[in-house]
Amino acid sequence: MNRLAAQFRWPAALLALLLAAPAALAFVDDALSFAYEAANPYAERGWIIREDAWGGDLGEGDKKAVTGQLFRGNSYMFFLATDVDGAALRVNIYDAEGNLAESKSWQRGRFAYAEIKPRSTGTYYAIVEILSSPAERTGWALVYGFQRK
Amino acid sequence: MIPRLFFVLFLGLSPALGQKPDKTIDLGQFPAETVDNVVIPVPSEIFTVLDKLGNPNWRAELGPEKSYPASPNRAQVALLLGTVIADGFVAVEAEDSERVKEIGRNVLTLAEAINVRKSVVARSNSIVEKADAREWNAVRREFDGALQDVNQAMLELNDAQLAQLVSLGGWLRGTEVLTSIVKDKFSRDRAELLYQPLLVDYFNRQLDQMSPRLRRQQLVGEIRKSLGRIGPLITKSPPGEISEETVAEINTLSTQMVELIRAKAG
Repeated sequence: MNRLAAQFRWPAALLALLLAAPAALAFVDDALSFAYEAANPYAERGWIIREDAWGGDLGEGDKKAVTGQLFRGNSYMFFLATDVDGAALRVNIYDAEGNLAESKSWQRGRFAYAEIKPRSTGTYYAIVEILSSPAERTGWALVYGFQRK
Repeated sequence: MIPRLFFVLFLGLSPALGQKPDKTIDLGQFPAETVDNVVIPVPSEIFTVLDKLGNPNWRAELGPEKSYPASPNRAQVALLLGTVIADGFVAVEAEDSERVKEIGRNVLTLAEAINVRKSVVARSNSIVEKADAREWNAVRREFDGALQDVNQAMLELNDAQLAQLVSLGGWLRGTEVLTSIVKDKFSRDRAELLYQPLLVDYFNRQLDQMSPRLRRQQLVGEIRKSLGRIGPLITKSPPGEISEETVAEINTLSTQMVELIRAKAG
């Protein structure tokens, strides 16, 4: 476990998932550290980074939807990361009708980012996707933060 | 320089680039288990919006100033712990450092009653320290962290259902505060914050799936009944059309539930 992995405690939602599937633990451990590593500098810019997060592992080309409650009036950012060298992934945010709702997104190797200012309060879906990966299963972790804007 | 150049070239060749996301997707293609991993928002996600929409009287929303005696009823303690942590977020909005510190200590007492004290000692100390320094965003993150640490400790003790009750207690207290503020000065923008069908459905399912031993408890039974009444109130109107009457009704129900949780604490 690297320094960052030791620094961050397991978020509850992630831990619940991992208790159900302990084999995924090693995959997601460092992925979560990378996700926080990417997100934490935003805290200095006024973002509040949540201590709870989502995570799991997927095969190349696989997608997963995770659900979240977002509130109109806030801005949200989502950081997706993996510990697999050479993997490429992305995250996009959709509203409850399946319409792309993010205001910004990018992918850079093991990191992906999406930002949204919800047009209405309600349920949103973060679609996590492993675009390519040298590994059979790619561990991922998704952290989010919010900011009043 | 060479590694950086290589990195840029690698990015340029990466299939991740140049692929635009679909403008619309069929959410039905994703399996139902996705909704089981719901991350519960912390109250400050809502409170920051309320601040923007007006100037709420946060001091009026502070919970009772009291310490809670140890109770043998772990379900009740878990629910109470959730409400107390939510109180912490209210005290942060009120920028009341003394109250924040008192709540930090209450969190520790309640955590001890359910055998997870060790997991929150550092958080509790940090809450006190950061409240003294009036570093409010840091305090918000510590309360969030305390919630996650307690949940984590309970999951490790195979007490997942108690962890769910902590989250539920926090949500109920957050909803009580939200509806109280919206009721005080109603606007559709404020009322829209109540549109949380995902969370109501999630908590209802969690309660339905609890062990018969927990469901038989009077407090859990009462909450299950009241939450069952809140669900249709929230989902019957689209976001932006939640009425003043609906807000008042949800406020009555959530206040009753929070009072019941506190009353059982003696």
